[in-house]
Amino acid sequence: MAPPPHEEDDAEVSCSKLSDREFYTIPASSSWFQWDEIHETERRSIPEFFDGSSVSKNPRVYKEYRDFIISKYREEPSRRLTFTEVRKSLIGDVGALHRVFLFLDGWGLINFGVPAVEARDDGCTAVTVSSVVEEGVPAGLRIVPASAVAGGTQGSTAGGESVFRLPPLTSYTDAFGDWVPGKGPVCGVCGNHCQHGQYEKTMQDGFFKCQKCSLDNGNGEGKSADGSKTNDHMNGNGDIGTRSWTDAETLLLLEAVMKHGDDWNLIAQHVRTKNKIDCIARLVQLPFGEHILGTINGKCEIRNSSSQAANIRTIHHGTIENSQEIMSTEDKPDIQNDEEKVVEESCAAPPLKKRRKQSIIDATDSLMQKVAILSTAAGPDVAAAAADAAISALRKENPDVMNFFAADQHEATGKFASYETQNELGSELVNEGQDVQKNKAADTSEPVPEKFAATAFRVRAAVATALGAIAAHAKLLADQEEREIEHLMASIIDMQLKKIQHKMKHFEELESIMEKEYANIQQQKESILEEWITVLQESVRAGIPRWRDHAIPWSLLNSVL
Amino acid sequence: MKSLPPSASKGPVKFRMPTAENLVPIRLDIEIDGQRFRDAFTWNLDDPDSEIANFARRTVKDLKLPPSFMTQIAQSLQTQLAEFRSFEGQEMQTKEKIVPLKLDLRVNNTVIRDQFLWDVSNFESDPEEFARTLCADLDIIDPEVGPAIAVAIREQLYEIATQSVSSARESRLAKKGRRGVESISNNKVANGALDLMKVFGSKGTVLRKRKEWYLYEPIVDLLSNEEVEALDAREERTARLKKKLDDQDDSFHTPLLPLIGKQEHAKVLYDQRCLLYV
Repeated sequence: MAPPPHEEDDAEVSCSKLSDREFYTIPASSSWFQWDEIHETERRSIPEFFDGSSVSKNPRVYKEYRDFIISKYREEPSRRLTFTEVRKSLIGDVGALHRVFLFLDGWGLINFGVPAVEARDDGCTAVTVSSVVEEGVPAGLRIVPASAVAGGTQGSTAGGESVFRLPPLTSYTDAFGDWVPGKGPVCGVCGNHCQHGQYEKTMQDGFFKCQKCSLDNGNGEGKSADGSKTNDHMNGNGDIGTRSWTDAETLLLLEAVMKHGDDWNLIAQHVRTKNKIDCIARLVQLPFGEHILGTINGKCEIRNSSSQAANIRTIHHGTIENSQEIMSTEDKPDIQNDEEKVVEESCAAPPLKKRRKQSIIDATDSLMQKVAILSTAAGPDVAAAAADAAISALRKENPDVMNFFAADQHEATGKFASYETQNELGSELVNEGQDVQKNKAADTSEPVPEKFAATAFRVRAAVATALGAIAAHAKLLADQEEREIEHLMASIIDMQLKKIQHKMKHFEELESIMEKEYANIQQQKESILEEWITVLQESVRAGIPRWRDHAIPWSLLNSVL
Repeated sequence: MKSLPPSASKGPVKFRMPTAENLVPIRLDIEIDGQRFRDAFTWNLDDPDSEIANFARRTVKDLKLPPSFMTQIAQSLQTQLAEFRSFEGQEMQTKEKIVPLKLDLRVNNTVIRDQFLWDVSNFESDPEEFARTLCADLDIIDPEVGPAIAVAIREQLYEIATQSVSSARESRLAKKGRRGVESISNNKVANGALDLMKVFGSKGTVLRKRKEWYLYEPIVDLLSNEEVEALDAREERTARLKKKLDDQDDSFHTPLLPLIGKQEHAKVLYDQRCLLYV
């Protein structure tokens, strides 16, 4: 083979006897490479050739392999050299050849800067271009250190799968079989159906493990913490078995709560099929559940209840269906500026209450909180007016409403007398966009205890207030914007006018200059003509014959006169 | 004379697959009531025997085969594993040996033919990695090709391993018979293995002659669906023919086809293909 063209690495220019040198780029970390020698790195990384353990592998052989592979690559440096191409040309165990190939590839002595082909799935290749750097290779290109390469060369364990146990392959029917409700997920490790509360979803592997298996499989994943957090939303706390509250049970629960208040033992007794903890949990999950607890205990916790309501919309089939629907359609009132969906009924008390809450509420972003913020943003008068309008509209719909609100109002004023809240409901401010339209049929035909209707109405009222407040605020903003726009337009027009005026002045000046010039020219013409005449007179006196040659003065004369 | 490299031959080793993982190649070819199930895969010997039943059950369930397949699959699997285990007690020769392996198989629409050298004394070799690299380099899309290649390699290695067991036995006998120690040096190795001294010694070169490159290059063909169907039909006919011949007691009839072993199965296909294309 002809001596291979000498390569220049980044660090230095190696002197060569060949007059024409070709340049190949290799990473700076591979600058140890020399054509004529075998470097210590190579000896370390591929020891099989250097320890005399086999006849077929000796340094000479290694050098031949290496030189051939690198030269082969450099015949076409822009193309990725594959192992299959070289192994046909080299005699020897393909395993050993492959190790040499990988070594060179890893150190960037071949295929450096060639687009790499990512691992495929389903036959589509994603090509990523590794940057080609002429000098100053970034440190990120520090290629596989020798130890890793050595580890890889010694019979790379197939995919490291011997290190950790994979779960038994789920068969098709396991994964896609008919879902048997109530049976719970199948543990990916032991194949058992899991009882409730005993599974944890492992994020990494994407399959369920029962607690036992995840404990056994202590692979340092430590997923139990995650698992409990990332359980299915569907199942709330992840226990499937006991958590199927029918409407009847829910009703019993509510009745019990009304009757017994805080005594959970009695309540659990009343609801025969559920234990204490389940009852509490269920109540909390209900919209206004915590409110019930709160009113029982003398505290207001509406914010929690409504946030719960916002979240558990999909689960609750129970008694508060209406308000649920309404709330779901009116969620995120700060986004929707659509005033047509105002729900009736509001009350001065809830907004006021919420304002008190504002100082305490942390960033839970509940519905009520939004209402409160918007109320403050829009100004108390506007909010009050909005509330008022909402109440009056609702009153038309359901005369009982006022009773609820009256009761609440007493509560509210009683509690918050110390706070400075705007209680003027009298002033009617501009109520822009306050269409009071009945959204859903407010058929409270369910056997709901009164308190629930009250709270339902309250919520609706609050929402209405919010919308009203937004509407007002928005209108104000819009007006302001318009004014600004007008102002800007006026200034623009002004500027334009000024520009034009300047131009006109400019042109006028030019015109006057031109006129002056013209006058000048005329004068000069006349003077020149006079001179001619004198010259002619002189010449006539002197007796010089001229007429034949001087036709020009006549034309000039003619033009002037 | 130059001294031999210190560890040119390792001591005799218990029989095992000369690969990093002790995976046994298994081939299943079962026909019941006109339904045919063919498969080739590797089995990890370290798996407990209970796995065989599980595997059979799973396979039948996944592929929706009639349940009578289950016992057959399990049986066939057991037999092949038992055969492998029967070799396990014995010793095999571990002299360094580089043999040419051939690939000649058809997997769905892909036909691949290849030849390359393999060091059977390297107990850390990895057919799966080789198969992966091959498929990656050749841009083979079908994911079934890689494992099929690995199985084919393993089968050949298995053959060679069993042969080395018998040759080890022979050499021991030869030694006992005082017929002179069979030279453990590296001239004239049997079975078409590489003459190591010639190639790797000081005078040889490991670079193959250019005109021989084509011999060691993989050839990949993608068949169209019709060709695949034609080949499949042909195979079925062959198999049926073979069964008929096996059933015949009369040994007077020379079998038209040799007993189809693992590798020769592939060779038969190759012959058929030649017929097809000629």
